[in-house]
Amino acid sequence: MTGFALEGIELSRRYGGFAALDQVSLQLEPGEIRGLIGPNGAGKSTLMDALCGRGGPTGGRVTLAGRDISRLPAQVRRRAGLARSFQKTNVFPALGVREQVALAARAAETDNTDEVLDVLGLAELAGHRAADISYGDQRRLDLALALVGRPSVLLLDEPAAGLSIQESLVLARLLKELAGSWKVTVLLVEHDMEVIFSVSDRITVLNLGRVLAQGTGEEIRANAEVVRAYLGSSVE
Amino acid sequence: MNGLAVARSSGMPGSGARARVPSFLIAAAVLVAAGFAVPLLVGSQLALTLMTQAVIYAILAVSIGFLIRQNGLASFGHAAFFGMAAYLMALNGRFGWMPAEAAVLAAVALPAAFAFLTGLIIVRLPALSFSMLTLAVAQSLHELMLRWRAVAGGDDGMAVRLPSRLFGVGIEVFQSPATMFVVCWGALVVVIALLTVVARSRFGVLTIAIRENEERTRYVGYRTLAPRALVFALSAAAAGLAGVLFSLYNAFVTPGILHWSLSGEALIMAVVGGAQAVWGPALGAMIFFIVKDAAGDLTEHWPAIIGTLLIAVTVLLPQGISGLLARVAAIAPRRKP
Repeated sequence: MTGFALEGIELSRRYGGFAALDQVSLQLEPGEIRGLIGPNGAGKSTLMDALCGRGGPTGGRVTLAGRDISRLPAQVRRRAGLARSFQKTNVFPALGVREQVALAARAAETDNTDEVLDVLGLAELAGHRAADISYGDQRRLDLALALVGRPSVLLLDEPAAGLSIQESLVLARLLKELAGSWKVTVLLVEHDMEVIFSVSDRITVLNLGRVLAQGTGEEIRANAEVVRAYLGSSVE
Repeated sequence: MNGLAVARSSGMPGSGARARVPSFLIAAAVLVAAGFAVPLLVGSQLALTLMTQAVIYAILAVSIGFLIRQNGLASFGHAAFFGMAAYLMALNGRFGWMPAEAAVLAAVALPAAFAFLTGLIIVRLPALSFSMLTLAVAQSLHELMLRWRAVAGGDDGMAVRLPSRLFGVGIEVFQSPATMFVVCWGALVVVIALLTVVARSRFGVLTIAIRENEERTRYVGYRTLAPRALVFALSAAAAGLAGVLFSLYNAFVTPGILHWSLSGEALIMAVVGGAQAVWGPALGAMIFFIVKDAAGDLTEHWPAIIGTLLIAVTVLLPQGISGLLARVAAIAPRRKP
């Protein structure tokens, strides 16, 4: 029994001869926001997939609040409290906004649909079909589907993709608030370094399927290997 | 989070699954009552016979439409369930396995069970593979009945022996066009009502979600296979009911009722009527029979006219005629002062 909200232990995934993920271990403390960064192809989304049970077979183990969930299918992991959003907007176009958030709430057996719609500013769009709302609203709806039911751990794959700078910063503030008030642990993949460094308690850097570095924002900024492999001058 | 709420597009209100059961039941009751009036208004036995057949096929079309609507899958072999039920009635009449009332229930349950079990395997396949497999199953049953002369009469078919009373009603009620039309019409309304209730239920919303985005449905916490198999089973049960009514009315079955051409016709009815609304395929069936009858009087090449209608609807009305009616109904209130 560990005290971690989520733990990935020596996770590996290979596609033919290519190791997309190579013995990656990751521990998230309860209520922590962990940033996950790295260049394209570093294995960020693959790590997300491995944690939530998506895609092909994965070596290693995943525990959620100490419970081994490695062999559980995605829907059971979700009901156990591990939710995720996707890199590409992943909603139900033909269903109403409220209708689909309520659907997700029923699976989680915690109906906080109205609360989530309010928090994400979707209440006014509750009666609209997802296909009829803007891209930015669809991104927030995607987040609502993951957030409803108050999961203990939230895996967010580029939630700010396609949002304006102002929207991204508001989203970052919201994540910080939720992590504090809802005690949600967040693993956040994001290319917007301003978002990552402003919200993350700690940051893990992946490169070529391996952990290159872990630490606070300051430590990551000061890590010469990280700067050389990924950050360059982007956070100067 | 209000800061995030920028540049919202205006859109149509959602298609939320709001249950309106009371008004819906009233509408169903009115439709059933209307069915009673038809035999009084239509004097021709030939016309009533044609209308009764049309209503039976409308139930088959509705069953296919429900599968398309909820699962996004088109069956090319729904005649399998129709024929399976009809042949069960015929075989039971011959071998006396169970009372005719029990056979009616079994003839609805058997296709449903068969569809659920096969559905657990085939609904997970790509849409085209699913369609081809349903076709293969139906054609296999067709071949079986065609060649099983000793038991099922082969190409000659077999009579459906029925008791003098069924569910306490004289059997002539099921074989006279005037009364059977009312029975079939009532069955059609009940099937549409029940499937509409299912479509608007939480289960219905779940299956639409699976149809739209199966992976996402799993990642919000649902299993996705069993609900899709259950939709297939409900669809097959409705097709089975149509098969039962067919066997009662015609008192004769042939392998033709398992043939792909019947599946194709029912699919055309569903496409023409539109599967967006549960009742759409029933409308398609009525139109199909009217056009077929009228075109048949004009030319022996009537299938070409049906084909032209299908092409026109597919190109001009992708949501079918019911979709057009729904659009008109949605626009009409906005034009009122």
